[in-house]
Amino acid sequence: MLFFLFLAAINYQNSMAFVLTFMLTGLAVISLWQTHKNLLGLEINLQTPRPVFAGESCEFIYSFNHQNNAFRYAVGVQYANQAPAYITIEPEGNARVVLKIPTRKRGQFRPGGSVIFTRYPTGLFHAWGFLRFDTPILIYPKPVSNAILEETMVAIDDGETSTSTIEGDDFAGLREHRIGESLRHISWKAYAQGKGMLTKTFQGQVRPSLWIDWFSISDNSLEGKLSHMTALVILAENENQKYGLKLPGATIDQHSGTAHKQACLHAIATFRQSDLNQEFEPDEG
Amino acid sequence: MKANLPIRAIPEEIASRESVFVVCFCFLFSIAPHFRHLPLWVSGFVIIALAWRISQNLDRVPALSKWILAPLVLIGGISVFAEYWTVVGRDAGLALLAVMASFKFLETRNHRDLLILIFLCYFLIATHFLFSQSILTAVLMLITLIVITTTLITINQRDDNVPIVSRFKIGGRMVAMSIPLMLILFILVPRIPGPLWGITSEQRAGVTGLSNSMSPGKISNLILSNEVAFRVEFKNEVPAQNKLYWRGPVMAMFNGRLWYQSKRESIDRLNILVFEEPVEYTVTLEANGERWLLALDIPTQLVEESVLTADYQLTSNKEINDLRRYTLKSRLNYQLGLQESADYLKLTSNFPVRNNPRTVALGRDLAQRYENPQDIVKHGLAMFRDQDFVYTLNPPILRDNEVDRFLFDSKRGFCENYAGSFALLMRTAGIPARVVTGYQGGEYNSVGDYLIVRQSDAHAWTEVWLKDRGWVRVDPTAAVSPGRIEQGLDDALSSKNSGFRIKNRSPIFGNLLYSWDNLQHGWNDWVLDYDHRKQSNFLRDLEVGIDDWGDMILALVAMMLFVTGGYWIISWFRERPSKPEPHEIYFNQLLKKLQKLGLEKPPSEDTRAFLQRVQSRGFRQPDQVVKIINLYNLIKYGPDKADALSLSELRMLVNSIRI
Repeated sequence: MLFFLFLAAINYQNSMAFVLTFMLTGLAVISLWQTHKNLLGLEINLQTPRPVFAGESCEFIYSFNHQNNAFRYAVGVQYANQAPAYITIEPEGNARVVLKIPTRKRGQFRPGGSVIFTRYPTGLFHAWGFLRFDTPILIYPKPVSNAILEETMVAIDDGETSTSTIEGDDFAGLREHRIGESLRHISWKAYAQGKGMLTKTFQGQVRPSLWIDWFSISDNSLEGKLSHMTALVILAENENQKYGLKLPGATIDQHSGTAHKQACLHAIATFRQSDLNQEFEPDEG
Repeated sequence: MKANLPIRAIPEEIASRESVFVVCFCFLFSIAPHFRHLPLWVSGFVIIALAWRISQNLDRVPALSKWILAPLVLIGGISVFAEYWTVVGRDAGLALLAVMASFKFLETRNHRDLLILIFLCYFLIATHFLFSQSILTAVLMLITLIVITTTLITINQRDDNVPIVSRFKIGGRMVAMSIPLMLILFILVPRIPGPLWGITSEQRAGVTGLSNSMSPGKISNLILSNEVAFRVEFKNEVPAQNKLYWRGPVMAMFNGRLWYQSKRESIDRLNILVFEEPVEYTVTLEANGERWLLALDIPTQLVEESVLTADYQLTSNKEINDLRRYTLKSRLNYQLGLQESADYLKLTSNFPVRNNPRTVALGRDLAQRYENPQDIVKHGLAMFRDQDFVYTLNPPILRDNEVDRFLFDSKRGFCENYAGSFALLMRTAGIPARVVTGYQGGEYNSVGDYLIVRQSDAHAWTEVWLKDRGWVRVDPTAAVSPGRIEQGLDDALSSKNSGFRIKNRSPIFGNLLYSWDNLQHGWNDWVLDYDHRKQSNFLRDLEVGIDDWGDMILALVAMMLFVTGGYWIISWFRERPSKPEPHEIYFNQLLKKLQKLGLEKPPSEDTRAFLQRVQSRGFRQPDQVVKIINLYNLIKYGPDKADALSLSELRMLVNSIRI
């Protein structure tokens, strides 16, 4: 456009058209410099994202701060081809921006695709920088919906007898309904989910512990098995059971609690993942 | 790695309502001054389209689909063509631009479209300069430039919470910063003489000035305009008012009603006897859309790209569509055309015999009565002087044999009536005569030491050819109204139309107006007339060794870098981090000490949580740390400013921490 204006100015020998052309050139030069300046001296951190299950959105929380006495407008953050988010950072201030990135594959990744950019103030120029973070991203396999804690997994622990009865204080799990049992104990929730007639079992003082064992999962595919195991870990934790994890080459002792659950899920998520530093790719679907 | 170039990766972005709204306003602001140049239907269309888009923004009306817009665009284009019979050139181009931009608004959805529209607004500024380049236009356009730039910043800021004043500050500062860069470029970018392609003559439609024919009424229309025709700087003193005859188109042809120019070749040698030193002066001529260059009396020197015709009319080789500045020498005392060609003398003695029988009869009578042609001239002038002829701007409208009716019936007329009828009378008496149009007089600007000649100074007079004296100027108007020539038009007319002469105002106000005109003259001289000639002269006069294009570009780049470097340093200085306050310094000292113990406080952690961590780690002096943190929070967030006492206490506490 500037060139066209310049030609017109020459053609009409119009001094003010020259003035305008040169003024706009000056604006462009200043804009180029200011666009660059808008990103200069920014410090960006990525908080370790909370682990999510594959298919969910992972929240990337970037925090920005800078020491300059100037506003930073329209600083954009983008992960790969996802929609960007823009923020304003006050002079010597800090700001946070959250990107929700859809996930697809389980595993541990490195967030390699972050880009910080700006087109402020004129939209003519694009200044950007790649951001490399070492913060790991952990994505658990997507849990299957039809997992059942089967009694067969309940093993005898340290000689203590594990008794599952339909009477008791604590909910222990579900087993197949046997004819003659009271309908009161049928898990109608599970029935509604199409899992068949299951009887809720409860237990008394004795807490059975269980193993979530790779070899006892009937699913054929590796990912299917892992998804199943993920679901079982969640179920077991929700039911407040003691459980252990057996994977080929790795075993996690029986325990319960959030830390234990996370350790188990971490083991499942990174199972047979050769490169733990693989770049994270969002779900483009 | 999968290469995702970030530039391409940004998805198309829907423009926000606020952005659409501000761009609508910006466009309206940029195009509003054009409404007086655009046909009414175009202005109306622009307003309707913008109103529609704003209503659409408020969800009052639906967005128009492509299937409705496409035929409308076609109709719009055809309508513009129907209006002008072209789509190029200044006026048609502007109308097309306005119509198409309005359609663009109706289909605008994305952020990107808005950027395009804003760049279009910038382009609109340039179109304003095709209509006027005056100082006032320039000031208005500077404001427009700030508005557009602020709009551009606003839509790129992506922050609705910024107050409009700070937006204008940012925009204004950017524009102000670009001015020095613009000046460097303006002075140093090598200028190429234009035009590069043809400019159609409509570009100067509406410019007032002398015409190439003269009929009653033409000049008296000009008189009503106070526009400046040209300004003159004299090298020495300004000649007397009654000597200031500015020669324009010379009319040697008469068809009974109309005087018009003959085709005359340029002269190869001057046919003039001179008696005095020439007068040297520089004319800054406003665009007149024609070819004549106004010159004082008889110019005896050529200016660039012009010819001098045999009737001593200075004619430019191309139309004067822009300001033109030239230096000339003229003679005020001379004998012109003693050896005039017989053909030309015959041409200038011609008149249609069937028209104006009474004038023809009078002329023939005079020719018989006087032997000496000079006496005939004297008789003619005496007739104007002695009979009750009236000099008036509003003569009665005459039909058929106008000269007869003027000379014998109405006797009321303006300079063109007097010049035309006198020339005809001389021809009928056998004396070659022609009409010269131009300007007479001018107003001296004492502030800037130059003469202002306005359209209202337009005048017409006569030249007669006498055997032993050549072409002699005879101004019959002077005979009727000597004041017109001695003092100027206003004194001669004393009508209500005489308000625009500055000298008629009070002294203070008058001086202000002279200063203003002086500013305009400087603007013409230094800004509008800065072309390749002036550029090379200016750079040569600077004597800094910038001689050719290479030097100019080198100097240009160096100065641009210098200025932007200066901006960079200033902004670095202004935006540098402020010095940390004392309590922050002490607090950081504490953090450093604790860091040695492996207790690190990330910036995101709040002091309370950090304190808990410190305590849980079994630090030896937990109370001290609690005190420090409490005091620090008190100073930092407390209602009062930190006093010296609490600061020194903080310092002592920090120093007391032993690791």
